Amino acid sequence: MGMERLGINYSAVLPEIIMALTGVALMLMEAFWPSRSKRRAGLVALTGLGIALIATLRLWGTPRQTAYAGMIIIDDFRLLFTAIVIIASVLAVFLSWNFLEEERIQPTAYFALLLFCAVGMALLTSSHDLIMVFLGIETVTISTYVLAGYRRDDLRSTEAALKYFILGAFSSAFLLYGIALVYGATRTTNLSAIQTVLNQPLNDAERALMMVGAAMLLIGFGFKVTAVPFHVWTPDVYEGAPTPVTAFLSVGPKAAGFAAFLRVSSLVFGADFDLASAGRALQSDWISAVAVMAILTMTFGNLIAITQTNIKRMLAYSSIAHAGYVLMGIVARDWQAVAFYMIAYTVMNIGAFAVVALIARRGDERVLIEDYSGLGFRQPTLSFPLTVFLISLTGIPGTAGFVGKFWLFKSAWEAGFSMLVIIAVINTVISAYYYLYVVIVMFFREAKREIEPVPLPGAFGFTLAVTVLGTFYLGLLPTRVFSYLNQAQTAIAHLIH
Amino acid sequence: MVPMSWYLALGAVLFTIGAISVIVKRDILSMLLAIELMLNSVNLTLVTFSSYFQELSGQILVFFVMVVAAAEAGVGLAIVVLLFRNRQTVDVDQASMLKL
Repeated sequence: MGMERLGINYSAVLPEIIMALTGVALMLMEAFWPSRSKRRAGLVALTGLGIALIATLRLWGTPRQTAYAGMIIIDDFRLLFTAIVIIASVLAVFLSWNFLEEERIQPTAYFALLLFCAVGMALLTSSHDLIMVFLGIETVTISTYVLAGYRRDDLRSTEAALKYFILGAFSSAFLLYGIALVYGATRTTNLSAIQTVLNQPLNDAERALMMVGAAMLLIGFGFKVTAVPFHVWTPDVYEGAPTPVTAFLSVGPKAAGFAAFLRVSSLVFGADFDLASAGRALQSDWISAVAVMAILTMTFGNLIAITQTNIKRMLAYSSIAHAGYVLMGIVARDWQAVAFYMIAYTVMNIGAFAVVALIARRGDERVLIEDYSGLGFRQPTLSFPLTVFLISLTGIPGTAGFVGKFWLFKSAWEAGFSMLVIIAVINTVISAYYYLYVVIVMFFREAKREIEPVPLPGAFGFTLAVTVLGTFYLGLLPTRVFSYLNQAQTAIAHLIH
Repeated sequence: MVPMSWYLALGAVLFTIGAISVIVKRDILSMLLAIELMLNSVNLTLVTFSSYFQELSGQILVFFVMVVAAAEAGVGLAIVVLLFRNRQTVDVDQASMLKL
């Protein structure tokens, strides 16, 4: 085999290479140039992420192509999601700034893990082969297991890491078995090649393998994107993990998981198949399974969120509910709607968790919703941004959450899933209850005990400013982002040979 | 020659045993072993298909799975050690501070 057939193309994976090198550099720094200062490690991490973001944006507009023998794909979909996960990582670095100092945590290893997780997420968004999907997911989850347990002397954090690890590894095994069975049915792991095979009739044995394989893939992806009934780990992990890590977990790995889910879903199960082909028979089953999952996810997430007293746990259930809305986009096969929603969700959710992290302070002491009483006019620098984020998460017009939801609902409606949209709208109304309850507690309830005001460090101030502006920008002036998304190549279900 | 379906059936049985053990076992080390069993049953399935098709990508995936399993075991055992230090037990039922 000649070298050119391997399709080695460094520029296609330049963002990943940069982030991986930065991660390695951070670990070497620990060995050769030790320091407990978070500043140096943080700046190195930020520089690496910044260069990777530039490398990603420079690839924008390159024609659709695959590299590394069809393992990696470059198209606008991949670049957009890579940019989202890098931005989520940048915001996570800012959020971790003070946490590392307060908890006296060695910063280099922490940032290195964050970078490796970013590499995994970027690879996941660019994967065009089930092998890459598996490797990407594992790179992401193995780093996040460690991040979730980073507060080592805290039992809650350890327990979160343990639960995340057991259920994560368990679900990876299912995903892997699904990949093995799909490989058995189609003799390939390349997504485009699988689509070609599915476009023909299969024999009985192959059809059975494909069916079970698809179900296992669905279980694996369901775990990663926190879809009901595979969500059980989410509340515990989100509650126990250090708050900056929770903020990161709820957006970065989730966006990457959705990107891979969407890619597999539209390339393998969403293509325009011939009438007699095996794919056509599988397609309706797959789409109805995802639709049922979407309904369960949003309904359970919202109903259980109402009963929560711990704000991190409430936001965990809210994050499950939002995964349900995004699943509608997968059902409708509208990747632009999903991409926009993930941008909006990243901005508002990181913002909300930033406020929660600030108020919780060292050792996550104040995380109950009643701890927020009386905060409203005493600490307007915290309560007003949090109000903005909660309103946006509810989906009230003028905010990013509204535009994102509107687009998702519209595309699901146009794709003919009107029942799904009606349930989603009812869910939005339910969610208003628990989001706005926090706002009411903040502004209209007296504080139980006197609490000294929380200082607002610079890194947090910056994060809050960026996320508040982002929430309003996407909510009030979304046309520029819309036009970028519309210019992007629309069909991700297209074959590449 | 043993037919392919036997290998596949063995893989499926091992996977099921692994999955059930993860659910019913109460100590983390057994759960780790059970997860390892699940991954290896997948490896068996992949190798079976790969040799039957005379095609290599399945076997290549097996190498990656081995590497990932090793990394996962490393992190998993570290978490177990951490839990043991904090709690003096490896029983998962004791890890119940966060309500499920």
